[in-house]
Amino acid sequence: MRIPYNWLQDYLQADIEIERLCHLLTMGGLEVEEVRDWTATDGEATDQILMTAVTPNRGDLLSMIGVARHAAALSRTDFVDPVTSFPEIDNPVTDREKASIGPVTVEIADSVGCLRYSALLIEDVEVGPSPDWLRYRMEAAGIRSINNVVDCTNYVVWEMGQPLHAFDFRLLKDGYIIVRRAEDEEKLLLLDDTWQTLGPEDVVIADPMGAVALAGIMGGTDTQVSETTSRVLLESAHFDPVAIRRTSLRLGVSTEASYRFERHVDPNLTLPALARAAELIMMTAGGQIAHAAIDVKTRDFATKSLQLRPARCNSLLGTDLDAAAMADFLRRLGFGVEEGELLTVEVPTFRPDVEREIDLVEEVAIVYGYENIELTVPGHLTCTGRLTEQQRLRRRAGELLRECGLCENLSFSMMDPSDLDECHWPQDDACRDFLELANPASSDLTVMRTTLLPGLLTAAAHNARQRVSDIALYEIGTVFFPQDEQSLPGERQHVAVLMTGSLLTADWNLPVEQAQVDFYYMKGIIEQLCGGLGGPELSFVRQNHSTFHPGKCAQVLLGDETIGLMGEIAAEVAEAYDLPDGACASELNLDMLLERAVLYTTHQPVARFPAAERDLAIIVPDNDEFASARLIEEIEQAAGEFLESVTPFDVYSDPQQIGAGRKSIAFRLVFRADDRTLIDAEVEAVMSAVHSYVEEEVGAEVRK
Amino acid sequence: MEDKLEQLRDEAVAAFQNAKDEEQLEQARVEYLGRHGRLREAMTNIANLPEERRPIMGSLANRASREMEQVYQQRQQELAQQAAAQEPGEQIDVTLPGRASRVGRRHPLLATLDEMIEIFLGLGFTVAEGPEVENYYYSFEALNYPEFHPAMDEQMTFYVGDDALLRSQTSPVQIRVMEQQQPPVRIVAPGRCFRRDTVDATHCHTFYQLEGLLVDEGVTFADLKGTLEVLAREMFGPACHMRFRPDFFPFTEPSAEVCLTCMICGGEGCRVCSQTGWLEIMGAGMVDPNVLAGIGYDTEKYTGFAFGGGIERLAMLRYGIDDIRLFYSGDMRFLAQF
Ligand SMILES: [Zn+2]
Repeated sequence: MRIPYNWLQDYLQADIEIERLCHLLTMGGLEVEEVRDWTATDGEATDQILMTAVTPNRGDLLSMIGVARHAAALSRTDFVDPVTSFPEIDNPVTDREKASIGPVTVEIADSVGCLRYSALLIEDVEVGPSPDWLRYRMEAAGIRSINNVVDCTNYVVWEMGQPLHAFDFRLLKDGYIIVRRAEDEEKLLLLDDTWQTLGPEDVVIADPMGAVALAGIMGGTDTQVSETTSRVLLESAHFDPVAIRRTSLRLGVSTEASYRFERHVDPNLTLPALARAAELIMMTAGGQIAHAAIDVKTRDFATKSLQLRPARCNSLLGTDLDAAAMADFLRRLGFGVEEGELLTVEVPTFRPDVEREIDLVEEVAIVYGYENIELTVPGHLTCTGRLTEQQRLRRRAGELLRECGLCENLSFSMMDPSDLDECHWPQDDACRDFLELANPASSDLTVMRTTLLPGLLTAAAHNARQRVSDIALYEIGTVFFPQDEQSLPGERQHVAVLMTGSLLTADWNLPVEQAQVDFYYMKGIIEQLCGGLGGPELSFVRQNHSTFHPGKCAQVLLGDETIGLMGEIAAEVAEAYDLPDGACASELNLDMLLERAVLYTTHQPVARFPAAERDLAIIVPDNDEFASARLIEEIEQAAGEFLESVTPFDVYSDPQQIGAGRKSIAFRLVFRADDRTLIDAEVEAVMSAVHSYVEEEVGAEVRK
Repeated sequence: MEDKLEQLRDEAVAAFQNAKDEEQLEQARVEYLGRHGRLREAMTNIANLPEERRPIMGSLANRASREMEQVYQQRQQELAQQAAAQEPGEQIDVTLPGRASRVGRRHPLLATLDEMIEIFLGLGFTVAEGPEVENYYYSFEALNYPEFHPAMDEQMTFYVGDDALLRSQTSPVQIRVMEQQQPPVRIVAPGRCFRRDTVDATHCHTFYQLEGLLVDEGVTFADLKGTLEVLAREMFGPACHMRFRPDFFPFTEPSAEVCLTCMICGGEGCRVCSQTGWLEIMGAGMVDPNVLAGIGYDTEKYTGFAFGGGIERLAMLRYGIDDIRLFYSGDMRFLAQF
């Protein structure tokens, strides 16, 4: 809200310098975001404007008086309340539902939307331009000056926070005001020249012909005050915040009035605001009050009484204030206080946010000053601050991937369903069952991600387009999938890796196959990750997945459960993302992996006796039946207890040398006993058993 | 004559042994063993001796000659070895780029979050986590948000169903934790949150938050101030402080906006802090008794404080990053720096 500094002085006894005022208000909960110099358009007046940001609970600070009262309390100075009084307003015609006087009738038909409606008829006004002082104040407040009558109502809105509306009484059919719900499809032309179509959700002010104003939001053009107006009916009402907010949100119309009603206006302000407006109108537009005001109020708005225990207040704040100081603070804020063992506090109706003892504690803290509360550290440590085992395992997973040279990436949790088309994701895959956003922020982020790969591919594409060709990224993040309506959608932690380019910080003179990422490097990373998490047994099975190269893709299994997939990115996908051929990626279900992971592995004794090594080269058909993993298993079975390890060290296929459709694999077998050095004869015996086994049982040809 | 031969031999041996390099040795060889050298000269003198002395002297001279030759050769070998040792052999260009495996890096946002978590672990807090998709109850109702209240405007919530939304803060975790245990509760809840914000240099619809909650007997607002002061000091040094001013949040009362000394200007005022010397980083306050009572805690016995804020701003300050979009750029040149 714009608070003109000079105008504010009207309500402050003491002269508070502007810098100090801003500091006091900001530290007292009303943030002054900025001070702007203001000069009137005709250059004849200047002021400084405090731009305040009001928290949604403090509707009372949306007025000059509210700000002045707060500033006075914070500076321990006095506040000047501009009280106006007229007998016609002090003694209104009052009723619960409907009241009349002279030509005016007011009826509240919707007591939910409208709690109180006060009205006053002023006759013989001369509508015209506002005097300079009023025009300047309007301009300083940022309000367009309309005419003297409308400006006076806006002045009262600014000064007191009570929205007012002025009708040209002549244009109200039968002088009859009824506050009701709009009918279905009821139309109203508002003062801003927009037609609104209303419904039973909306509260309107109507005469017998139809709606004339949108309650608490804006008046209609048909009944507005103009140069020809001589009788003005002033409306000063109290509407339900929720009803006003609902209509304001639905129609997308927010005004100074609706903004205030949503944040709650003092229900006992309707008559004082009428008095102040009448005073100003008669001062600037002449005229006189026609007769007593009308005040239809559906109920009484009494002050609340609360109790504050000074000891409780101190024990919550960590302060040592005496009860008298607390009472003084509260009185300065406009609360009535009766001192005793407990403070009995009467809460004024302009502070509906103060409902409980704890709310009074906050008021005391604000006036005392948060700055003045000490710094202490909470006592008696009762639990150890430590990450859980699962949290430490997840951290470990990230560390392992970084140790493999991967940088951590973060991508958005939302995606576009077509991202999966872009990466040629299989059509019938479960990942296409998305959790959809009801209100996406943009058209390319409409569903929650079901896989991390599109995010990594997008990151890789960004790098490739920037001519960054060595890419090594991982991401640990949540993927989402719909569940039945009763429960929350499903969430899973996944880990994904994408790599392309060189493995090393420099690769000059190195042959490409030594320096560049390939399928086996990616596979090695998965093995490192799982091995570092306590080594759940992994296996890899050929897989068909259209995002990946048809011959270079594997399903990753943990025991007999699939936990993810890996492979070289298919050429079409690489092209779509501007990636070089040979980029590799992988995605695993991290939750499943961590379920089987352990933080601490059991120590394995280190061998004490030397090993014996033998090589075995075999030729087998080049197909999945003779995959190396199976051959290794067969050799292990044949080699018996002394075999420590068997690792392939040379794999090739050459139709000229070994015939088409065949491959040669050479294995190194390491033998060791844990209680002695093996002698040659023992090793040779095992090797010859292995030879005959692979020849006879496996059908391999042993190269000699 | 014998003396002379011995003297010649000793001189030659000394000359050979003292030769510093092959050139000096060669000079000494020419002087003593050369064709016109002193040994040959001595031999010539022997020829002039009386006949009966010649054989003895001859064999003496031969012996001296052998000894001199031996020392000469030994020295020559030594010097050759020394020279070989000084010879450069294979030379490489030591300025070519080094070659090592790449090293991966933690994302700067999560590195900042880790650092904050470390500090709170040290203060006896544990880390609690919860779902990113939440229901209305845990997101708002249990946190004392009134329905149809302007406070809801700030939340700018994404919905994924009638009663499922993307959490706009990690506060629901606090409720879930309290439902599971009796005080004392000392947790921090880190995690990803979402708000329907348009993306620019300082805003993003996706962000990370760290919230904290402490509920126990006798917890005060002063404790809240002290705890966050520890965070400021541990993160940014002893010159850094937290400033508390009143604010409004439905789930705390009293509530505070928490600012940190602007480290860019040291509190003097600069563009980043809008000349105030302070940067807003958190919201905090004493847990509203309605929230505690909703859990079933005895609000007369237990009080608590809660705080929470985004990580982005702290990470940007920590690393001098000026555009929030970099965090989600996936750019290797950015990610490899931390
Ligand atoms: Zn600064």
